[in-house]
Amino acid sequence: MPSFDRQFVTILLASALLGLLGVFLALWGNPDNSGICVSCFLENSAGALGLHHNERMQYLRPELLGFVLGALASAMLGREFRSRGGSAPMLRLLSGIFLMVGCAAFIGCPIKLFLRLTAGDLTTLAGLAGLLAGVWIGLKGLAAGVSFERPGRAGGSAGFWLPILALAGVSVYWLRPEFIQFSVRGSGAQHAPVLAALGSGLLLGGLAQRSRFCVTGSVRDTLLLGRRNPLLWGLGVFVVVALLVNLASGHFRPGLYGQPGAHLEHLWSFLGMLLVGWLSVLIGGCPFRQLIKAGEGDADAGLVVIGMLLGAGLVQAWGLAATAAGVPVYGKVAVLAGLAFTSINVLLARRAEG
Amino acid sequence: MNLPDRFTLFHLSVAVGAVVGCLLLVLGASPASQARTGQGQLERDLARRARVEFLLDAYAPVQQLADQGRVQQALMKLEEIGRRYPGEAYGLLLKGRLLAEAGAADQAIAAYAAAVRGNPDFVEDGAPLAARDEIEQLVNRHLEPLRRRLADGATGISARRTMEQLRYLQSRLAGGCE
Repeated sequence: MPSFDRQFVTILLASALLGLLGVFLALWGNPDNSGICVSCFLENSAGALGLHHNERMQYLRPELLGFVLGALASAMLGREFRSRGGSAPMLRLLSGIFLMVGCAAFIGCPIKLFLRLTAGDLTTLAGLAGLLAGVWIGLKGLAAGVSFERPGRAGGSAGFWLPILALAGVSVYWLRPEFIQFSVRGSGAQHAPVLAALGSGLLLGGLAQRSRFCVTGSVRDTLLLGRRNPLLWGLGVFVVVALLVNLASGHFRPGLYGQPGAHLEHLWSFLGMLLVGWLSVLIGGCPFRQLIKAGEGDADAGLVVIGMLLGAGLVQAWGLAATAAGVPVYGKVAVLAGLAFTSINVLLARRAEG
Repeated sequence: MNLPDRFTLFHLSVAVGAVVGCLLLVLGASPASQARTGQGQLERDLARRARVEFLLDAYAPVQQLADQGRVQQALMKLEEIGRRYPGEAYGLLLKGRLLAEAGAADQAIAAYAAAVRGNPDFVEDGAPLAARDEIEQLVNRHLEPLRRRLADGATGISARRTMEQLRYLQSRLAGGCE
């Protein structure tokens, strides 16, 4: 077990709150098992910004803005805000898009994977296996000297812009400009009260910045460090708290069938999450972690976030996203294209390293 | 204290002027913008209402025959209208209802599943043309007997297909984000 220092306590606190609010936000109005889901939120937000026209998926999710702004505030307070960037921009943008493709095939990001699992959704086991496999493959790549990171990253002002855009995004709730769409039906119309959602996002964003907690990061470090990894304990606390709250609130319904926002194409759940795990290792964090890093001034992560937003729009506009009916054919094609993209880039990066 | 040079002053004033201009425009245009937003919302509500009215009107002959208990004729009428609007979700919902009434459970379930795929609003509480309760009853009525049939060794493709459709409807009824 890791030493019980301040950093470890912060990790435990961040992960406990992630589990707690992850379930509570669904109880307060977010869709079932989607109290927190970065990919679903991005799909909703892309719809709100007019990047797709699925009328059931349009809502600028305050939680997303809260994650970025909470991380910004925490980084500022801790004097850790540093505008930085300039590493492999095209790869990051495209990786962001393919992260959303993988999440859309599974129906959810790694955080939602665990929220679904702790609500008894056994279809997530295929996704979990895929995530573990993806992180493991990514680690093999890192061990072979492959990374999308490049030395000599430039500074400059680029890192300020995503937090500024998030700040501007908050104004939408009272200005209500005409070009921002809000669903009146479907999952986009299901949401927690704005202040509760924004407050939860700010709190979690701040704590995640301070603790560096991230689902794929936890898996990655566990494969590297085993039980000594403090993030593993964080992941454990997240799962236990979410499970307890689901049990207490009567939302634990174990089974393979009839689960909210789930499908039975296990191979594609596996491959979708494999893609997410693999890419997350190569670009230094899962979708949630990218938002947090963007908040602390990392323009590279900011570019991944923009790629994710674009990808979230594309998966809806092109009908790539899975539903309870399964994964559409072109959704499967997109997952395979993502796997091809990742493996080709790993090979090219390895050659460049050599 | 050194005064900023002209280059700095110029860029600073452009930035400050642009930000202040943005704020003034946004705040000043707020009532007009709200009116336009309301207009946009009105257009969307009108389109949605018009769609519902149109569907009810287009399928009214089917509904009339169904109300008279003439299920076969209603199905034939539905097929006739369906040639004009192939794959239309409300027509599929009506087909599911009529087939269920006619006792063709497997086909009814397939029609309901196709209808919900076409328009997920059918399983949403309070949505126009919502059929959540009847779909829920359909799933509850058929899921367990079919599951037992499959467990007892029913191996037909049709039974397995029907089970998939029921599972799909069950998952849609459970909600979630998609």
